[in-house]
Amino acid sequence: MQLKNINSLSTVTILAIVASNALHAENYVAVEFLQYDENSNRVSVSAPSLSASYDIGTNYNIKADFVHDAVSGATPSWQPDSNSGASSRDNSGDYVYENQNFDEERNAGSVMLTTRFENRDELYTGIDYSRESDFDSKAVSAEYLHYTDSTHNQSLNVGISYTMNEILSYDYDSTSGASQKETSSSINIQAGLSQVLNDHSLLKVEGFAIVDDGYLNNPHSNVVRDYGSSSQRLLSENRPDKRTAYGLNLKYITMFGDNLSFKANYRFYTDDWDVSSHTIDHDIYYNLNKKITLGAGFRIYTQTEANFYNKNKDFFTNEAFASSDERLSKFDALTYKASVDFKQNSKISYNLGGQFYSQSTGLDASMITLGVKYKF
Amino acid sequence: MKKLLIMAIIASLFMGCSLVKEVKPWEKETLAKPIMQFGGLHPEVNKFESHVYFSKEASRGGSGVAGGGCGCN
Repeated sequence: MQLKNINSLSTVTILAIVASNALHAENYVAVEFLQYDENSNRVSVSAPSLSASYDIGTNYNIKADFVHDAVSGATPSWQPDSNSGASSRDNSGDYVYENQNFDEERNAGSVMLTTRFENRDELYTGIDYSRESDFDSKAVSAEYLHYTDSTHNQSLNVGISYTMNEILSYDYDSTSGASQKETSSSINIQAGLSQVLNDHSLLKVEGFAIVDDGYLNNPHSNVVRDYGSSSQRLLSENRPDKRTAYGLNLKYITMFGDNLSFKANYRFYTDDWDVSSHTIDHDIYYNLNKKITLGAGFRIYTQTEANFYNKNKDFFTNEAFASSDERLSKFDALTYKASVDFKQNSKISYNLGGQFYSQSTGLDASMITLGVKYKF
Repeated sequence: MKKLLIMAIIASLFMGCSLVKEVKPWEKETLAKPIMQFGGLHPEVNKFESHVYFSKEASRGGSGVAGGGCGCN
């Protein structure tokens, strides 16, 4: 009798493990479309994407995705005031902080291979590629996940990536406006611990460090340098060529009852440009029935300004580092999120999501995502 | 005050440990549900979100090491 029970238990265990793996081991093809629009006729992005995941036996999985961004609109920066007749870069005075029009297309893709070892540890290796007319980026990454116990309730992960960028910079300081290629690189290291707290809650703690090196300027951002007695010049911004950042990420997810999950995420970030930020992100998912899942979320973000940032046109003179790029300013931001998922059958599902993003700088943006996923 | 704060943090960490309950593989049905994944129901949508925040804010990191850069305006 006892032997029978043990056998039954083993069967249940095996079935549970197989079922659990089967839930994760999904082959799929997904098509997503993103429409992103900012207020005041600033940036608009239309981005269709294609992604796929395929299991090769039980030990390998390969994921690939491709996205095409069509970006148009304007981004704010200091410009000669065309209303005053100013057109030269070195005229005195008449500069305005206004939108600078641009159009851009971006193609980006990534491939990731997951290798599962005999002890079910996992190794993720990936390559990423992104190309724009004035920016190329290539990245390689590797991450190892190790289960510290036989029941797979606790795992450690360590990852590293190396990114190399090529940037076409515009020499705004000369009258020719010539462009030249610059380079930058980035190393991202991350280590974390995941812990199953109970049969309905998970916790993940991660630390990360990022070192950027090289040309870190925004090539489209200008500053006004004021030399007194109506002598002002419009020049390219200049940022330090090194940036070291650290951070901590805490993630918690739990289930209330059978159909409501709650996810909380907190991130702390700090770097040697004096930018520090706190991000709190919450998401709730509710299975309304077997076919429909509703989602809602709320994100709060706050950051301090970089030590070389100032938006005024009479602030900078001969400082080595100067930027008026609003992204380096002190601001808060809120995001409101809502989504609905419709599962037509076991193979086909559709998702629709909407987000509204609002910064205290005055930037507001809406984001709509629409997608379909086919599992096989 | 500082000592008290450190002690409180250490105490809460140990309290956290006691909250951890061993879960057997056959008890992980809830944890395996799609709505219980840190990456959300649609990792592809998360990638879009991360890209937007990366291009509009001065801080980044914490969402995995994979992913390339961009010259986002």
